[in-house]
Amino acid sequence: MVGTAEVHRAGKGELSGLVDADPITTEVVRHGLMSCAEQMKRTVIRTSFSPVIYETLDFAVAIYDDRMRMLAQAPTLPFFMGVLSMAVDAALESAGGADAVQPGDILLYNVPYETGSHPPDAALAMPIFSNDGQVRLGYAAIMAHWLDIGAKDPYCTDTVDVYQEGTKFPGVRLYQAGKPNEDVFKIIKANSRMPRMVVGDINAQIAALQMGARAVADLVERHGVQPFGQAVERMLDHGEMMVRDYISRIPNGRYVGQGMMDDNGVDDTPLPFEIAVEVEDTTVRLDFRNAPAAQPTPINAVLPATISCSRVALSMLAGGGEPPNEGHFRPIEVVTTPGSMFHPLPPSPCFLGWPVVQAFDVIFSALTQAMPGTAPAWSGGDILAMVWWGERERTGEAWIDGCPHPVGQGASGSADGANALMHSSESATRLTPVEVWETRNPWVVEKVELAQDSGGPGQFRGGVGLDVVIRATEDAWLTSVVERTRNGAPGVDGGGGARPNGVTLEYPDGTPRSLSKATRVHVPKGATVEVRTGGGGGHGPPAERDPEAVLDDLADGYISTSEAERCYPHALGRRD
Amino acid sequence: MSKDQSKGERVSVGGVDVGGTFTDLVAYDPRAGLTVTKVRSTHPKPEVGVMKAVGDALDAAAASELQYFVHGTTVGLNALLEGEGPRLALLSTRGFRDVLEIRRGDRDEPYNLFWRPPPTLIPRRLRFSISERIWGDGSVLTPLAEDDVREALEALRAQEADAIVIAFLNAYANPEHELAAEQILRGLGYDGEITLSHRVSREYREYERTATTVVNGYIQPVVSEYLGRLEDALAGYGFGGTALIMRSGGGALTFGDGRRRPFETLLSGPVAGVEGAAAIARQMDFDRVITADVGGTSFDTALVVDGRPPVKHEGTIVGLPIQTTWVDVRSIGAGGGSIAHVDAGKLLRVGPRSAGADPGPAAYGLGGTEPTVTDAAVRLGMLPVDDLGEGLTLDRDRAEAALAPLADQLGLSTVEVARGVVAIVTAKMADAIREITVERGEDPRRAALLAFGGAGPLFATQLADELRLKSIVIPPLAGTFSAWGLLVADAVRTASRTRIVGLADAALEEVNAVFAELFGEIGATADAVDAAQPAQRETVLDLRYVGQEHCLTVEVESEDGRLTADAESIQREFKREYVRAYGVEMDDPVEIVGIRAFVRRRLHAVESFAGPNGNGDGGQAAAREVEAYSLRRREWCAFRVVERSGLHAGDVVEGPAIVVESTTTTYLDADYVAKTEPNGCLTVTLESGEGE
Repeated sequence: MVGTAEVHRAGKGELSGLVDADPITTEVVRHGLMSCAEQMKRTVIRTSFSPVIYETLDFAVAIYDDRMRMLAQAPTLPFFMGVLSMAVDAALESAGGADAVQPGDILLYNVPYETGSHPPDAALAMPIFSNDGQVRLGYAAIMAHWLDIGAKDPYCTDTVDVYQEGTKFPGVRLYQAGKPNEDVFKIIKANSRMPRMVVGDINAQIAALQMGARAVADLVERHGVQPFGQAVERMLDHGEMMVRDYISRIPNGRYVGQGMMDDNGVDDTPLPFEIAVEVEDTTVRLDFRNAPAAQPTPINAVLPATISCSRVALSMLAGGGEPPNEGHFRPIEVVTTPGSMFHPLPPSPCFLGWPVVQAFDVIFSALTQAMPGTAPAWSGGDILAMVWWGERERTGEAWIDGCPHPVGQGASGSADGANALMHSSESATRLTPVEVWETRNPWVVEKVELAQDSGGPGQFRGGVGLDVVIRATEDAWLTSVVERTRNGAPGVDGGGGARPNGVTLEYPDGTPRSLSKATRVHVPKGATVEVRTGGGGGHGPPAERDPEAVLDDLADGYISTSEAERCYPHALGRRD
Repeated sequence: MSKDQSKGERVSVGGVDVGGTFTDLVAYDPRAGLTVTKVRSTHPKPEVGVMKAVGDALDAAAASELQYFVHGTTVGLNALLEGEGPRLALLSTRGFRDVLEIRRGDRDEPYNLFWRPPPTLIPRRLRFSISERIWGDGSVLTPLAEDDVREALEALRAQEADAIVIAFLNAYANPEHELAAEQILRGLGYDGEITLSHRVSREYREYERTATTVVNGYIQPVVSEYLGRLEDALAGYGFGGTALIMRSGGGALTFGDGRRRPFETLLSGPVAGVEGAAAIARQMDFDRVITADVGGTSFDTALVVDGRPPVKHEGTIVGLPIQTTWVDVRSIGAGGGSIAHVDAGKLLRVGPRSAGADPGPAAYGLGGTEPTVTDAAVRLGMLPVDDLGEGLTLDRDRAEAALAPLADQLGLSTVEVARGVVAIVTAKMADAIREITVERGEDPRRAALLAFGGAGPLFATQLADELRLKSIVIPPLAGTFSAWGLLVADAVRTASRTRIVGLADAALEEVNAVFAELFGEIGATADAVDAAQPAQRETVLDLRYVGQEHCLTVEVESEDGRLTADAESIQREFKREYVRAYGVEMDDPVEIVGIRAFVRRRLHAVESFAGPNGNGDGGQAAAREVEAYSLRRREWCAFRVVERSGLHAGDVVEGPAIVVESTTTTYLDADYVAKTEPNGCLTVTLESGEGE
C-alpha cells in the first residue's frame, strides 16, 4: 500500500434547517428540476448519432446549483450521475473559477482523475444564468461516451499510462459566449477515428445543455430566485434526512464485503479486495483501503469513480427508490489510500476502472450482513462491455459500436432473482434492438436468449444470464472487457453459485478462442463471438425450493433435467 | 331516463361510453339537439347496458336513422389488466425465443434493486423457436423450416393454446416468412386466431413490435366477440349506419377495423373525454386544460395543450410498449365506488378496490354494505339528490351504516370518517394530476381544470383547493361528457412503414410508391365509412439527420396522397421543426425513416354545444337549501340547491351551493362562484378574485 489514508465526504453542504420553506413550492420545484433534466435527457437521445448514446443510454445529465450541489438528474447511467459533479468542479477550476465563466460558455473536461472515467467519457458543463442575465443560478452538465477520442485503440484493456488512453481536454471552452470555438472542434476531429459521429453527438449534448439552461432559468423566473433557493435547501435536507433515517436503522458496526477481480488485464493474477462498511449512528463510511496497489494496467478505478459507486450504491438502498440529490450523499464518507487500485495517481492508466462495478455487489453483500434482506444476492457482477469497430467493405467508412450486456440478478429471501437485467451500476442502460443493429453494423445476430442453468440454485433461484451470438459479415476488430469469468455469483444462506461470465471467439474454421479482457482482437469475416453472461446467486438451500417452482422452471427450460436431478431431487420425486 | 328531446326525431349520431360503473349515451340530431341517457354498466356483458341506453334514448325508428354510432370501451384494457386473455403461443425466430422476456434489459425503477419486470403474457414453455431468418435489409438468410412450424403446432395444441402470435425478426422489412408460416398453419388445419407482427406494426425494434403484437393477440378474442355481439344487437334494433370505436391515438375506427386491430383501441374509453376536452379548450381559448374525469371506479387525467390531446408515438400499458399513436392519459383506481377501509396500522385507506356498479355504494341500496367515496359524500350532504334515475335512490341511512364500522375502529364520528375519505381520495387524484403537469415542468396553477364524469364535478373545488388551481370548468352534460367527446371524433385509419432513404427529389418517387401502397392497404383493409365529406389523405414523414436514430414527425403537403412538396421544401420544414424542438441547426444531410399515411373523415357530427341551457328560469324555481358540510370551512352550513337546467348565460351561482342536473352533481364549496358561459359551461373561480 502507498500513502496514508484519505477521508472524502461524498456530499456537499450541511443541513440548512430551512424546514418552513413552502412544501408545495418545494415539491413543484423538485419536480420542475427533474423535468428540466428529463427534457435534457430526451434531447440527447433524440438528437444524438451513436447507438451507444440513443439506445444504450451511456450518458448522464444533471443540474447543479451555484455551489455545485446536484439538484436533479434524469435516470440514465447511475454511475455517471455519481461522478459528474467532480468533473464540473474540476472544469470550473481549470477554466479560472466560476466567475471567469461567462453566459454561453461551454466547458469540456475529460481528464480521468477528475471525471472518474476514461477520456472518451467527456463532460460538458454550461453555466445557467437568470433570464435577465444578472444572477448565476447553477450549471447544466452532461457526461456522455464519445465513440472515439483517440486512445491507442477505440477501447483498451492494456494501456500502460494515461497518455495512451485518449486526447485530454482539461476544462477548455468548447463554446465561448454562445459561439463554437472552432479550434477545439478541429482538435477533436483530428484526434477521433469517428469525427462525424462524435461531432454529431457533441451537437446533441450542446442542444440539451442549452435547453436545460433555458428550462431552469424559466423555472426560477416562475418562482423567484429566493423562494427557489429555499425550496432547493429544503429538497436537499429532505434527501439527507431520508438517507440518515435509513442508516440509523442499521446496527452500528463494521461489515466487510469481499471482492475478487479476475486479473489486471495483462497479468493473470487474481486481485482480491475488501470494502468495509462502517456504520456509526446516521453516518456511513466506506473503507476501500484493503485493496491492491495501483496496477500498471487500466484496471485502476480513479478516486471520483470510487466515490461515485459509494454514492450510488448507498442511494439505491437508502433513497426510497428516488433519484438522489446532493443531500443523499452528505451522510456518506469514503476512505481510500492514495496510490491504491481505488485511488491511483497520475499517470497511472485507468481506462477500465472496472473494480467499481463489482464494488456495488461487494457493498450490498457487506450491508446484507448488517441487515439481512437489505439487498439481493450477488448478480453476474459485471457489465460485459464489448466494443466493435472496423471499416465498411463497400464504402470504407469507419464504424464503432459497443454495448454492455444484461446479467442474472441475485435471489432474495422472498423471491427468485430477475433474469438478465443490466448490472445495477448501469441499471438504466438498455440493450440495442437487434433490428437496429442489423441496419447499422456488418452483423448477423444469431442469438439473444436466456441461458439455461446459468442461475444459482436455491430455495429462491438466482436469475439466469444471457447467451448472445454475433456473426461478423465483414472483417472487424473487437475489444472485450469481461470480469468475473473465474468466479460466478456466490449464493447466500445455503444458496448455490451461478455460472460465471465468458466470451468465446470462434473463427470461421471452427477454432475457438476464449476472451476476457483483450484489446483489438481481429474478428475475421464469418467468425462468431459468443457472450455468455453470468447468472445471479441463489438464496437458501435448494432442497427447500418449492417443488412446484422446480417443475415450472423445468417446463419453461430455465433449468435442464440434469440440473433438476442434481440440485432439486426432492422435487422430481413428486413428478409422477 | 332523462330526455332533453322527444322521441321520433331523426338523430344522426350516437355516442356510447362504457365506464366501470355507468354506461352513458349522448345522441345528437342537427334539428332536435342532444339526447342524454345514463344507465348502469353491465359487466361482464357490457353490450346489455349499451343496448339498454340505446333503447331508453331512441326508439327503433330513431335508431334506424342514426348515421353513426361511436363507441368508447375499456373491454380490451380490462382483459389485459385482469389477465383474462387467451392462452397464447408465440412463434419466434430461432435464437430469439425470449424477446418478450429480455425486453431491453433495463429497469423501470433504476434505483430499486429488487425490481422485477412484470410476468410475460406468454410463458416460456409456449414460446417456440422456428428456424428462419430475414436479415435487416429484408433478404432471406435462412428459409422457413416448415417442420419447425408443424412441431410447434403439435406442441402448442398439446398445451391447449387458444391462439397464435407470430413475430419474426426483421418482419417489418420483409414479411414473407410470417405470411408463409401462417399459410402452413392454415394448411395444417389450424383455425384459431393468428396475429402476425407485420400486420400490427411495420416499424423496427423487435421487442416493441413483438409486445404490441402479443397484446393485440391477447385482447383480440374479448374485443372481437364483444364488438360482434354489439354490432348484431344494434342491427337487431334497426341501426343501419356505421359503427365506430374510439382509437387510443384519437379519432375512431370502424368496428370491423377495431376487431382486427384491437391494440389501437386499448385506451378507447378515457380518450373520448380528452377529445371532448380539446374541443372545449379550442372553443373557449384555454391554452392549458387539465381533465379530471371521475367515474365510479377510476380517475383519468390528461393535460391538453393548445387545444390538442397529448399524442405520443409509443404508448406503455402494464409495463409493455405499444407501437402505435397514443393519447397520454393517466389513470388511477379512485372513483365514487372506491371502497374505504382501515389498514393493519390503523390508518384510513381508500381504494383501489371498488364496489363498481354492482353492488355499488351502500347508499344505492342494491346490496352493497362496504363504505365507498359516494357514501362519504352522501353522509356529508354533498349529494342531495334522492333520485339517481333508473330507480336508484340514495339512502342516507345505509351510507351511515356502512361508515359506522370504520368510525368504531378509528374512534371517530361517521362525519369525521366521511371527511377523511373525501380528503384522501382527493389527494390521490391531485397526485395523478401532479404527475402529468408538475413532473413535466408544467405548473398546474396555469391550467384550467375541466371536471366531468359522474363524480368529477363533485370533487372539482376540493381538487382546486389541493392544487391551488385558479379556474374550473364544468361542461354541460358533465356526467356524460366522455360520450359527448365521442361525437366530436373523426374516423381515422393509419398505416406506416419503416423505410430508410436519403431525402432527395429522386427518392420521393419511392416514397410516393410507398404512400400509394399504404393508402391502398388502408383502402383494401379498412371498412368504408360513409361520410358526407370526402376522406382526407394526410401524408406524414419521420425524418432525421443521417446518422441519427430518432426522428421528428413532420406533416408534408400532398394532394390525394401524393406528395406535392419537393425535397428542398420538406428539408426546410424539417429543419424549422428541428430548431423549434431542439434549438440547433445543422448542415448534415437529412433522411426519411418512417412513412405514415392517415385517412381521416370528418364526421362533423358535433362542433360545439348547441347549448342545452337557456330554457330555464335562472335556477330560481328549484332554489331550496340543504344542510351540507363545507370542506373549506370545516363546518355544516346551508347550501343553496340550484337546477342547472334553469341557468341562463351570465347567471352567477355563489357557493356554498350544489348545482344539480340529471347525470351529475356539482359541489360548489363556500367562497367559490360559478358563472354560466354562453356555451353552457360553468366557469368556477374563488370569490376573492384570486382566479381572475
